[in-house]
Amino acid sequence: MNGLTARLMVFTSGFIVMVLEIVGARFLGRDFGGSFFVWVSQIGVILIALAAGSYLGGAWADRAQRLRPIGVCLLVAGLFTALQPELAPPLIVSIVARHPADAPIPMVWQKLDPVLGSAVVFLLPALALATLPPYLIRWSTGSLGRLGRSSAAIVASNTLGGIAGVFVTGYVLLDVMRISSIFRLMGALIALLALCCLCADRLGPRGGRNLAPLPAAAGASTDCS
Amino acid sequence: MTLRKQGVLAALALGFLAARETIAGGGTVVFETTSVYHHIRVVEAGEYRSLLFDSSEQSRIALADPEAGRFEYIDYFFMPWLWNVAMTNVLMIGLGGGSAQQAYARYCPGVTVETVELDPAVLKVAEDYFGFRQSPRQRVVISDGRMFLQRSRRQYDAVLVDAYVEGRYGASIPYHLATQEFFRLVSDRLATNGVVAYNCIGVLQNDKADLVGALHRTMKSVFSQVYLFPARESWNVVLVGTRDAEAKKAHELWPNAMPAWQSGRLRLPTFFQRLGVFRVAPPASSLNSPLLADDYAPVDGLLGGMRPLAPQLRRQTAAPR
Repeated sequence: MNGLTARLMVFTSGFIVMVLEIVGARFLGRDFGGSFFVWVSQIGVILIALAAGSYLGGAWADRAQRLRPIGVCLLVAGLFTALQPELAPPLIVSIVARHPADAPIPMVWQKLDPVLGSAVVFLLPALALATLPPYLIRWSTGSLGRLGRSSAAIVASNTLGGIAGVFVTGYVLLDVMRISSIFRLMGALIALLALCCLCADRLGPRGGRNLAPLPAAAGASTDCS
Repeated sequence: MTLRKQGVLAALALGFLAARETIAGGGTVVFETTSVYHHIRVVEAGEYRSLLFDSSEQSRIALADPEAGRFEYIDYFFMPWLWNVAMTNVLMIGLGGGSAQQAYARYCPGVTVETVELDPAVLKVAEDYFGFRQSPRQRVVISDGRMFLQRSRRQYDAVLVDAYVEGRYGASIPYHLATQEFFRLVSDRLATNGVVAYNCIGVLQNDKADLVGALHRTMKSVFSQVYLFPARESWNVVLVGTRDAEAKKAHELWPNAMPAWQSGRLRLPTFFQRLGVFRVAPPASSLNSPLLADDYAPVDGLLGGMRPLAPQLRRQTAAPR
């Protein structure tokens, strides 16, 4: 896999994560209201997914050294995302309906219920997408001597995708598309990323499996005497 | 530091503080706080005290009489009397300074008002600076309006919605309080002759898609009739959704309120005068505006197309025409 393909893929994954985050606040608002806690929950859950996904992706890349597992994982995440308009509502309603009607919801649950709702809908896809950048750093890096530059390019592309996701969603998508259609589109994009991973796996690595070591530094010496 | 330098610094600090106490366009800030939802200020200018959320004026009272000085559009929240002649309980979404609530307490002595307000800081300001008092007839619940309706099983004679905010960077409305699903929920919580009254800002002559048109179309998909009360002194439009089988004209409706007026259950002095703005015809924009649903509610895009307020009027929610 060449660097450009890897950068395009992580740009897309960052884009999808932020589209889901912004759309998610709207999606959850119908059941949890317009409270401040909905945004807090949404941001918190997405960051948990990004942290966990990055860690798992890095560990997985070292161990598996193939793109097929992450491709399968993304395929499941894509299907899950596309089906959210049907899957999520009964689960979210059950979170709200467990509190007795006509009695105030305790403050702790006013804060934590949106976290549960957000986790139900967004934890899995965001986590799967967050495994991609560390995986592709490993996959697209030819030698340890270029590790800094290639990892920076992957991280920057992922962040740029996220920035695009925020503005495109806020300024365009919500005005022209239904929320359910946005979920389907993002599900399709995740599936596309999955197919890219599966194809790259079949075509073989560019060099990420066994990184060439750093050349010995000029003048370096092990002589300590 | 020399005494002279200390004096200059002290003068600068005092000048800064003094500047903070006055706002653009005049007025003195008598209270200021930042809640999780708003930058809340209480401002006194001339004979009025106003409540500002960010740069948007939400409520106003006359200092000499806290129950006077309210905006004109508040009077249109009394229009449900035209359809429901025996109102005893009302739900209001949005407290602000409590202008509508206090007007109901004063002019409809037999009506109990339950208010749902999202921001607890707003309730404290309404009580401390705008004379609002909770009582058995004035109950406030801190909650999101839609969540409250979802979980409540009570029936109301009228539901009044005032959740619109207009500021220097444009207007905003909570999208989940503007969709077809929301109005269905409201309809489910209304008694047999129940009526919903909804405040927003807009113009009726605009033929491009806008919020007034979208709200009218959305309310019409749930309520058999939607009437309009465009304020004379501001850009506010109050939409009233009812279950009339056929659209009625003002002269057919005003006799309905006469028994309540004669018995003293309705005492708003301007009630019949306000009927002058009554309008049955839909706004020009309703044909081109989308039906708002939970799945598609581009409220921010619709608000973005509205004409900007004149600079000197931007502070006001009830922007004068």
